[in-house]
Amino acid sequence: MLQMSPSTSYENLEAIARNLLEGLNVLLNSEQLKCSIFLDGPMIEALSNVAKPLMFGKIQNAISNGVLEFLGGGYYDPMLPLFPEDLQMMQLELHRDYLKKVLGAEPQGYFNSSLVWEPGMADILERSRFDYALVTEAAVQDALGRSTPVSGWFTLEDRGSLIRIVPVSETLSKAIAEDNLAWRSIAESYCRGGKSAIAFFDIPSEPTEIVDFFGRLVDFVETNEVQTRTVGFAVDQLETSGSISFLVSAGRNLGLPSTARTCRELLIRRPEINLHHKTFLNLYRRGRSVLSGKKWLEFCRALLPAMAPLFFRDLFNRSGMRSMMVRKRSNRLLITASQVLDNLTGFSGLRVDVCDYLLRGKKILFCENPESSYLLDCRLGGALRAWNYKGAKMNLVNSWRDDGEPSFAFLDCLLPNVDFTPVKLEQMLYDRKHLLADPYDYRILRSESGTEILLDEEQGFDSVERKALFRIKKVFTFQGDAAKFTVSYAIDNLAYVNTKGFFGTILELGLLSRGDVNKVLIDGNNVKWNMMEPLLYPDGQSLEIRDEKGGCVFRMAFDRPTSIFVGSIFGATSSAAPQAFQGIRVFPFWNAPFNMLDRKAFKISVSVTKR
Amino acid sequence: MRADLIDIQVEDRGEEVEISLYGILGEYQLSAVREKLEMLVRGPGVFFFVNLQNARFTTDAYRALFLEILNLVKQQKATLILIFENDELRAYFERYKNIFEIYRSREEYRKSGLSKQVHLVGLHYEKRSISLSPGFAVSVALFLIGWAITLFVIVVGQGREITDKQAQITALESQKARYIREIDRLESAIGPMRKLGVVQDTTLLSSFGAIQDWVTYLEYLEKNRREK
Repeated sequence: MLQMSPSTSYENLEAIARNLLEGLNVLLNSEQLKCSIFLDGPMIEALSNVAKPLMFGKIQNAISNGVLEFLGGGYYDPMLPLFPEDLQMMQLELHRDYLKKVLGAEPQGYFNSSLVWEPGMADILERSRFDYALVTEAAVQDALGRSTPVSGWFTLEDRGSLIRIVPVSETLSKAIAEDNLAWRSIAESYCRGGKSAIAFFDIPSEPTEIVDFFGRLVDFVETNEVQTRTVGFAVDQLETSGSISFLVSAGRNLGLPSTARTCRELLIRRPEINLHHKTFLNLYRRGRSVLSGKKWLEFCRALLPAMAPLFFRDLFNRSGMRSMMVRKRSNRLLITASQVLDNLTGFSGLRVDVCDYLLRGKKILFCENPESSYLLDCRLGGALRAWNYKGAKMNLVNSWRDDGEPSFAFLDCLLPNVDFTPVKLEQMLYDRKHLLADPYDYRILRSESGTEILLDEEQGFDSVERKALFRIKKVFTFQGDAAKFTVSYAIDNLAYVNTKGFFGTILELGLLSRGDVNKVLIDGNNVKWNMMEPLLYPDGQSLEIRDEKGGCVFRMAFDRPTSIFVGSIFGATSSAAPQAFQGIRVFPFWNAPFNMLDRKAFKISVSVTKR
Repeated sequence: MRADLIDIQVEDRGEEVEISLYGILGEYQLSAVREKLEMLVRGPGVFFFVNLQNARFTTDAYRALFLEILNLVKQQKATLILIFENDELRAYFERYKNIFEIYRSREEYRKSGLSKQVHLVGLHYEKRSISLSPGFAVSVALFLIGWAITLFVIVVGQGREITDKQAQITALESQKARYIREIDRLESAIGPMRKLGVVQDTTLLSSFGAIQDWVTYLEYLEKNRREK
């Protein structure tokens, strides 16, 4: 069984399609090799764009002769259990229709490149007219309570629906892919009693490697005289191996540890993936409640690409959300869908939504206007969890932390009054020490000038030598028609002691990219920051960061001279060295000696515009 | 924290403000809902839509709360409109259906502007309508029909007359054009003779050609005699 999910290489889709056709030609010219293949919707679309009629005729002949079997699945190959049922159906039907339209093939089997499975899928797949589904052998072994090789097919009945479960041998697939000579003995353990073993291979997504891959595969089959058949044929020919009562699979190639039981573990482990997922669900729910008919379908067309597995993998190197590029792409897709929804509903003005946005049992505030949207976590120091600028289709709070904590903007802290260097300050900010991040109570105040979110609560400060208590009023003032807002602070020292320190707010921004220089201006002067060493600028009154690649300009203005820290955020790479650029950290701060019962006030104006 | 008890959404479009409440709202959430609604309706706005479609009330106290909110909104010379379309809520507000403005959606309220007017005009005419006896009604009908026929005949007759007049005008215009052409032809015929001085217009040269009244004639005579 061959599969190719082009999610990692959308840029080279045409080149991949051309080489894939060449590769299929090699495969079809061999008379000994029969196999099943899964391609997702965008890949089939690219194939139909570049293929010549003769080649398509050849593929269609191979399908009708039983040499090649096309498997079905989601159009964007999503992990179905993560999404609402109607979108699951839509993905399956879209893929089936497209396969039928382009190749005239009616898929019998269901395949998902991530190989995830959760209870409840049998019903959906039966309704989508699938006979069998491929899952990992490990999941079937777990369900059967066995550790010996499992082959053949099993029945799974759930709420009156029946589906045939076909285990895919990862051990055998790995042995063949790595040219392990022990593959034959491994295969024999599966093929006892006339059964077949299902081995599956990832077609490389590098265009130059595709034809070579098919050549090697044909060579392997011919040299070793392996008898091959399509999965559908094998399933139809064999008797059932038994029944399974409960099946769950955490999938493969997702960046999950082997102990994970379900793909939902990703949502708990990685806040960035969770934010993508919850933003998706939020858009879905809003669209579902206000749209119907053609408008609903138009909105779904914009929303469905955000279901691709690429945005649900905890992987490096453009293969998952650890890559800043992938996160930017995820934000672009979601913001595009949000703009489509705005247009279809004629949205204008400002919306403030108090809800459990992240489905973590905490209500937070989601503010949105036609230009931007903000996710304000009043339960964590009134910090911004997301800050979407629709003009450039980007989320500014888009950096990545290796410790699994989410990124924030306007996360306040009071640093103790010590002498620190930029490097030491960077370490303190990374460690998030001395935060003023207790839960706030909120009020929504509407006025002619805009809508204010007033956060008001006591915040404790605790350092080695001193404890203090402040009452902080933090006010976000949003407008209904612009990507700008102000944040003002009024801080009262409630303690009868003097407290010295530096009050500031941390912004972890997914701006700039490696290799770009000279994009940071303070008070209109280019500070020529090299992006490697952290920068500390005293007494600045405005900060401008130009992201040429992202296409936006970020500006902050302060009501008084302010010390400004700017530093890069680096994360681990696949080789474990912390060299992957994951965004920048901005920390404007003020020397704030609080005398007893003293009050200090600060104000920051922020705006984002197109480049 | 009281604010944490409820799901609420505010959509602010200047004059129109839509406040949506979600979830099961009981005694425990009442104070939070009161606090949020009072806070939100105090701002600018002319139409306050309160969307209750996704809310369920487990206590009667919310009816009183909405009456208070209605008073608050009216003090600001604004309008409060409740939005929902399920029967459960309809039954909940049944007792106050004449006090609250209840619509199924914001769109329906917008469209209701015209239908409200039509409804009012309908009531107006309904109150002033009169009844007639059948005989009188038939004679009035016959009179009206006869009147209409007479008008039709008059219009048709006038139309025919206008057509005749137009035909005459057309004939006269063609005649005039023919005469003009004839005059032009004659003038062109005598053109060369006029250049030679053979033809002289004697009408204006006659002794009395330019004399139109007696005073001028007498002056002419006197002048002639003096010259002689």
